[in-house]
Amino acid sequence: MAILKKKNRPSGEIPTASMADIAFLLLVFFLVTTVFEEEKGLRIVLPERQEEIEVSQKNVLHLTVQPDGVVQVKRGESPQVQPVSSSQLSSIWRQEFSRNENLIAAVKTHPEASYRFMIDVLDQLQAAGAERISLQQLEL
Amino acid sequence: MMRGGLERKSKASSEIPSSSLADMAFLLLIFFMVTTVFRKEQPRDAEFPEAEATQKLDEPRKDILHIWVERDGAIWINDQNTPMEAVAPIVNELYRESNQRLVPVLRADRDVPYRVMNSLQEQLQEAGTVRVTFYTNLEQRMARARR
Repeated sequence: MAILKKKNRPSGEIPTASMADIAFLLLVFFLVTTVFEEEKGLRIVLPERQEEIEVSQKNVLHLTVQPDGVVQVKRGESPQVQPVSSSQLSSIWRQEFSRNENLIAAVKTHPEASYRFMIDVLDQLQAAGAERISLQQLEL
Repeated sequence: MMRGGLERKSKASSEIPSSSLADMAFLLLIFFMVTTVFRKEQPRDAEFPEAEATQKLDEPRKDILHIWVERDGAIWINDQNTPMEAVAPIVNELYRESNQRLVPVLRADRDVPYRVMNSLQEQLQEAGTVRVTFYTNLEQRMARARR
């Protein structure tokens, strides 16, 4: 009789020994699948549609991006064209901007040039603190 | 006799307490569950350009629209292959739905010809979304050299 009674009495508690294992398994799953995706990039404000602003030539720094990544710098009205690599643009901008505070950077990119060459130029300008930047496609 | 008494005193439990292990695990688990964001979009064939002036965006995730431009010039918006002329109407609709808060992020491959990006910018101007972001990866080497 005593033996039968003992058999009918299972443990009244839920086994908790494997709880940590289950939790860690789930934890590892979420650790592995988590991707902390960051939103980042270079901001720019495009001009509104049909908004054309006349700018005096002397306030414009023309930067022409060629398909090979060389940037041609033309200062305002002067007809001189100076080919530079994009890494020099930051110092050129600082130098020109200290002379003329109303300066606008006009970046004209060749249609066949790689997008990253334009980004290199934009990067250098933004790193130098330029705010007035115009992006255009070079008209051939 | 004295030796035996000392020995008994130093007999602390030799096991690490494991009763709170499950609690700690669940705490970490809940943290990762809450912070996990499953990728909504398919991965695309695009390698992004690098820039040292890369900034973090503060816009909430729901106001950000990814526009993917693959190496061959194909444009993908919300996993839909979109022809160039269709970009403006689609973006404009999303822009109005978001109460003019939408910010397009151009996730374009670094070797895409510029004419594609130029047409895309024209489309975005037409859609009225003038605040755009060119997605870039932070250029580490240059940033260190500058300091």
